[in-house]
Amino acid sequence: MAATTESVRADAAEAPLLNKKNMILGSLLYVVFYAWVRWYEGIYGWSAGLDSFAPEFETYWMNFLYIEFVLEVSTAGILWGYIWKTRDRKVMSITPREELRRHFTHWTWLVMYAFAIYYGASYFTEQDGTWHQTIVRDTDFTPSHIIEFYLSYPIYIITGGACFLYAKTRLPTYQQGLHLQYMVAVVGPFMILPNVGLNEWGHTFWFMEELFVAPLHYGFVFFGWAALGVMGVVNTEVIAIAKLLKKDLA
Amino acid sequence: MSASQSAVRSRAEAVKVSRTFDWLILFTLFFVVLGGYHIHYMLTGGDWDFWTDWKDRRLWVTVAPIVSITFPAAVQAVLWWRYRLPFGAVVCILGLLLGEWINRYMNFWGWTYFPVNFCFPSNLMPGAIVLDVVLMLTNSMTITAVIGGMAYGLLFYPGNWPIMAPLHVPVEYNGMMMTLADLQGYHYVRTGTPEYIRMVEKGTLRTFGKDVAPVSAFFSAFVSILIYFLWHFFGKWFGGTSFTQSS
Repeated sequence: MAATTESVRADAAEAPLLNKKNMILGSLLYVVFYAWVRWYEGIYGWSAGLDSFAPEFETYWMNFLYIEFVLEVSTAGILWGYIWKTRDRKVMSITPREELRRHFTHWTWLVMYAFAIYYGASYFTEQDGTWHQTIVRDTDFTPSHIIEFYLSYPIYIITGGACFLYAKTRLPTYQQGLHLQYMVAVVGPFMILPNVGLNEWGHTFWFMEELFVAPLHYGFVFFGWAALGVMGVVNTEVIAIAKLLKKDLA
Repeated sequence: MSASQSAVRSRAEAVKVSRTFDWLILFTLFFVVLGGYHIHYMLTGGDWDFWTDWKDRRLWVTVAPIVSITFPAAVQAVLWWRYRLPFGAVVCILGLLLGEWINRYMNFWGWTYFPVNFCFPSNLMPGAIVLDVVLMLTNSMTITAVIGGMAYGLLFYPGNWPIMAPLHVPVEYNGMMMTLADLQGYHYVRTGTPEYIRMVEKGTLRTFGKDVAPVSAFFSAFVSILIYFLWHFFGKWFGGTSFTQSS
């Protein structure tokens, strides 16, 4: 009886398999933050973002750029450093339940990656198209670029890196080496950021017109394909989770 | 870790865990594929998709199916061949259309004030449904590529025709004849407006007549078949679970 009571207490005190609070707070963080960013663009894009030589451009846009650079580097350093520093050195000896819990946490990270990729590759990238169709650029650091290239892309890189690091440091499934498709899914979209160098260099030759399907942009396309690597991650996860649940679902 | 230990307390919990993972996986797959597919599509066929004055009967009809059959083929290669889920193409197109509609409304209209009836996205859904149905009924990659891929190309123009037809009627404006879509474009001047940028069928005697659209659709269908094969194998590779061995 005493042992049963203790077991029930232990169950009650045990962390949930899926921490829904983290999932909701994480999702809200992306959605609310990007809603605020979109509001900022709407207000200061038109009022302060048309002439890069104007003092208000420096105030509202270049300062935004400098602040985001600092925050992104610090966030990446702290987050990735924390995940690495707190890694499990006995990852192969965890209990199946703990492994299942970690798979849920891993999927919480992957859901955040989904938000981050959506905003970066879909929302802010196509938005950049309509901005360039409307405003003739006089700088590489247009309002849409300051958000798209230098905010939303680093955010998905930071999130993707965190997913990969979490899996590598906490899950037995990923201990046999480096998961090729996972690396492609994270490193490929990461390469879109360095490809901005090619893009901006190309645009120094012409800037009055905008053609979104121009071959200059195909670097983004090639690295965008890498997002499909998520299918390899899904397959690996399905195999791992099925192995954990097989006995109980039979 | 002991093989005899169980990760769950009961069968009911196992079922619940399994269902929860299903939703997490679907959500993640949907939005990550949406992101990759959208950036691919907007930068290979985007200008034809953005504006009604680019939606002509030759290049739009040719390019859009060819560049958009890619991700559906790749995702089908995993969802059908591994899980027997017959909605790989539809889920891709739903994702793409969601991303596009949010953008056209929130940004094309909401930020730069282009009316939505000038910048709505193309409808790719009929081809996607046929692609999935052919794969489900035949269970054959080859037949899906040949029949489904061809249907995907051929159905694109008819699938969009009810939406585009009113904008392709001819109008005379200041002594010149053009389509209503052209007129929209001239009123909403963009950096892509100059005629040396805009890639549409050029004005000739057959501008308002006959066979341009079906011929373009047929050519598009032919290339879509080839692209389907190629991207099916891309999808197989992306769905792999291989590890690079650590030294």
